[in-house]
Amino acid sequence: MSGMNQLLENLNALAAGLFLLTAFGIVAMRQVRGCLNLFIAQSLLLAASAALLGLRYGSAHLFGVAIVNVISKPIIIPWLLRKTAPAEIYTQREINQVLNIPTALLIALALAILSYFLGQPLLNAIAPEFRAPNVPIGIAGLLIGVFTLTVRREAVPLLLGLLMMENSAFLAGISMSRNLPLLVELAFATDGLIIVFISGVLIRAVQKHVGTTAVGELASLKEGATERAVKEAGK
Amino acid sequence: MIRHIIFNLLQVLVVMAFAPLVTGVVNRLKEIVQSKHGPSIFQPYRDLWKLFHKDEIVSEESSWIFRFTPYIVFVTPIFVALLIPVLTNYPLFFAFMGDMIGGGFVLALGGFFATLAAVDTANPYGPMGASRTRMVGFLAEPVFMIVFFTVSFVAGSTIPYIVQEKWVTPLANFFTPAHVLLMLAFLMLILAEGGRIPVDNPAGHFELAMIDESKSLEYSGRGFALMKWGGQMKFFVLICIFLNVLVTPWGLASGQTIGAVLLAIPLVLFKIFCFLLVLVVIESSLSKLRLFRITEFLGAAFITSVAAMITRVFLP
Amino acid sequence: MSVLIILLLPLIAAALVCIPVKKYWASGVTVASSAAILILAARTALQVAAGNSIVSTSQLGLLKWISVDGLSVLILLLIAFVATTAAIYSIGYMAHEKLKPSKLRLYYANYNLFIFSMLAIPVLAEPTLVWIVVELTTLCSALLVSFENTREALEAAWKYVVLSLMGAGMALLGFLVLFAAMQASGGHGAYTWHGLVTAAPMMPPVLLQIAFLLILIGLGTKVGLVPMHTWLPDAHSQAPSPVCALLSGIETSAILYVILRMFPIMQASPHCHAETWALVFGLISVGVAAFLLLQVRDYKRMFAFSTVEHMGIILAAVGLGASAAGYGAMLQIVSHCVTKSFCFFAAGATLMAVGTREIPAVRGLVRKSPAAGVALVLGGLAITGAPPLAVFLSEFSILKAGLTQKHYVATGLLALFIVIAFFGIMLHINRMVFGVSENEKNGSPGPPEENHPGTQPVEKFNLPFSCRLALIVAAVPVLALGVYIPKPLHDLLTMAAAALTR
Repeated sequence: MSGMNQLLENLNALAAGLFLLTAFGIVAMRQVRGCLNLFIAQSLLLAASAALLGLRYGSAHLFGVAIVNVISKPIIIPWLLRKTAPAEIYTQREINQVLNIPTALLIALALAILSYFLGQPLLNAIAPEFRAPNVPIGIAGLLIGVFTLTVRREAVPLLLGLLMMENSAFLAGISMSRNLPLLVELAFATDGLIIVFISGVLIRAVQKHVGTTAVGELASLKEGATERAVKEAGK
Repeated sequence: MIRHIIFNLLQVLVVMAFAPLVTGVVNRLKEIVQSKHGPSIFQPYRDLWKLFHKDEIVSEESSWIFRFTPYIVFVTPIFVALLIPVLTNYPLFFAFMGDMIGGGFVLALGGFFATLAAVDTANPYGPMGASRTRMVGFLAEPVFMIVFFTVSFVAGSTIPYIVQEKWVTPLANFFTPAHVLLMLAFLMLILAEGGRIPVDNPAGHFELAMIDESKSLEYSGRGFALMKWGGQMKFFVLICIFLNVLVTPWGLASGQTIGAVLLAIPLVLFKIFCFLLVLVVIESSLSKLRLFRITEFLGAAFITSVAAMITRVFLP
Repeated sequence: MSVLIILLLPLIAAALVCIPVKKYWASGVTVASSAAILILAARTALQVAAGNSIVSTSQLGLLKWISVDGLSVLILLLIAFVATTAAIYSIGYMAHEKLKPSKLRLYYANYNLFIFSMLAIPVLAEPTLVWIVVELTTLCSALLVSFENTREALEAAWKYVVLSLMGAGMALLGFLVLFAAMQASGGHGAYTWHGLVTAAPMMPPVLLQIAFLLILIGLGTKVGLVPMHTWLPDAHSQAPSPVCALLSGIETSAILYVILRMFPIMQASPHCHAETWALVFGLISVGVAAFLLLQVRDYKRMFAFSTVEHMGIILAAVGLGASAAGYGAMLQIVSHCVTKSFCFFAAGATLMAVGTREIPAVRGLVRKSPAAGVALVLGGLAITGAPPLAVFLSEFSILKAGLTQKHYVATGLLALFIVIAFFGIMLHINRMVFGVSENEKNGSPGPPEENHPGTQPVEKFNLPFSCRLALIVAAVPVLALGVYIPKPLHDLLTMAAAALTR
């Protein structure tokens, strides 16, 4: 029996390790569609980790989490994105990044190592049966998500960075705090969907009025912005 | 003791004999995937035989390096084949002569001489390809190092046999994240060092785009045969390290009799064949990366290996 | 029960405004529902002030987490008040904008959804549900911020969404750590604010501190604490003025309420020092905002920076500790809310009169539109804490409490920054309202298409009636609270301050 438990724990650690890999991928992947596929893979890994932890600790509640995740993130979110955001975003590739890819990957790596150190006091404070590699990897995903928001310029990778932050917080959460009521989980999932919907509408508006989906490049709002805009228009 | 020496030499003979077969099978499979018939899997043997019987032409401008290199390129993989587990999972006679890092350096020695030889002639494509090979090589070094360090950290030793025993034999280790990630990283490394797609096109004849193939552009006759064979043996040795040390010890002989060892030969070849299937799928579905994208590819391999190291060394 | 109606009304209104009927249907429905919410909220407030805190007894789904105490009902009342005045103001403002009816309906639908999400924050007692509603406020207001669909508005909306959601992501981890701490405390209490306070002494202090920091930084991004405030001046200036009033006036305060809920939990645990963090963050925010105010060139951004400043003051007040500072902080929330909404109404009036947001381009406002000019001056004086207006009373009580607590350096810095902000804002407003423009002053020939300067009287602009009404209604508490605090409000404030300290 304990061999089975050990296998489940190992599989869970594997899911968490691959989760970390997808987090790195979202920072570095140039193609927007590739980023989306990585996000779908990440959500499936989150669901797998939830299911494995549920099997290991006999918590039916975690199975519910897994099912909710499998339905909402890999299936509904891409569908919503296709409906609300303009179709051109899927053909985009980010050519000009803020940092080139190897540098960005190295910084993401440093953040992952940092988060392992940050996670140690947290792990020491909770009871042994709640410890899993989920917690440091969740913190790593959170930090890498924040980093993604600073480095990427295209709209959809920015959005995926945000959703990745939620995924990572969740990954840490399913191992630390297992008995959140299922209603709350459902509300989280709906919340994710609303985020995608609103962001999709915003991206469509940006594409229509500004002409580009590289929203990270919009940086004109500073003191005196309207003056400059008027001057530009008057020229 | 004598038996171990015999097994070791048997290992070397296996490497020498079956390395061209691996190349032949890969080429045939790639052609089959493209719905063509493809050359026979024994074609590389016929090529080598033909080349050994041809005349050799050596440029007057070249030095001793040019003449000496084919022998070095031929011998270094043989030397490494003495050190790694090819047929058995217990250490043989020469096993403690060098560890994985030593083996890596020996392979690098062969590559170094090949690069020098490419520069040695006055052929313009030689140095171009040589510099690109060096670029791929030095970008792949950190990945090698991290992979070796991680597995040695776990096994407590850098000898491949001991690493294989401690790292990959316990079945519970198969699904640990470090194992999977290291397999991924080393696979990317094989693609880079072996000159496969997506790093380099082994079947390409366009000199401006050659990376690995350019080192044997100037050679002919016997020198060319030795360079080709040596390259094939290097690929075979890398695959052996990957499969036997990093993936699974399945197929390796654990008994001490000659029968067990001879039985291991088809089993190991079958394992290599399965790997070749994966390789062909990868090669047929990806396209060659642009030159500056290779840094990103190897950067991703580096990240994967460091992620493996993190999950193993910092395990809660 | 009335709390439930308060929550349902905006949803019904949002649905109703989508019906394409007569011209004033959408605005009328919104104003009516907001007024109804205000009345119900006032009634609930009176009930709570009389001593009965409302706890829901039904166990049905979400309903089991509805509970209202002194602090919650205060925020609830403020949300309802600003919602009503902003709805009245929207009538005139949107009429001035001359929009297509479908776009107008979209505005009001979004408006109602936004009100709903804000109203849900104080009444829910389970922290993760509160987190979800906080994210909802961001999402419902995103389309409102980008309403004008200019390049700047879209950029502001995008920055707003990204930064707010980023902060919310960090806060999520904080809430999950809090839940883990609750589990580790071994108690079987419910995961509500109240339950957390009772279980706090048994929680591992490391987890509490980590959770507190994550929530402070994460939700602090939405409140506008420095250095996470970069989205605030853009979003709060690019949105239409009634929305700005909502955002600056009450939404930031509502999120701050969530952070304030963490303080009794931290105090109940013996090893945690939340006050120092609050004081430091608060002082940094006030300082940076005060200095940024001096170089601002857009008057809506000016008021937005002032919001950052006031959020810093409130946080610093809570950080000063002691119940007197807590009372001052609560009073500051109330006074800031009514005053800031009034300021943005005035700013909107100015924008309607002059057509530009830049300070250097606006001169002699009082001649062009007396109502806007007077409102702007009053707003500026009010928000910077001039006596005898509301903010002065609250800032004074905070400073006094700080001195009695012997935090001399902090109080001195706070006072200094408030004075710098006073000078910054009043300088700009003075020039805008009373200043003489370049053309009028020099008498030099202007561009040929203009008439002779100096001799031509400035064309007066008449503010729409509903805007004037909203300004007057909003001005009443600004003026009144500076001199007299009615007894029920005083009781509420005391209860709220008590809720802060366990």
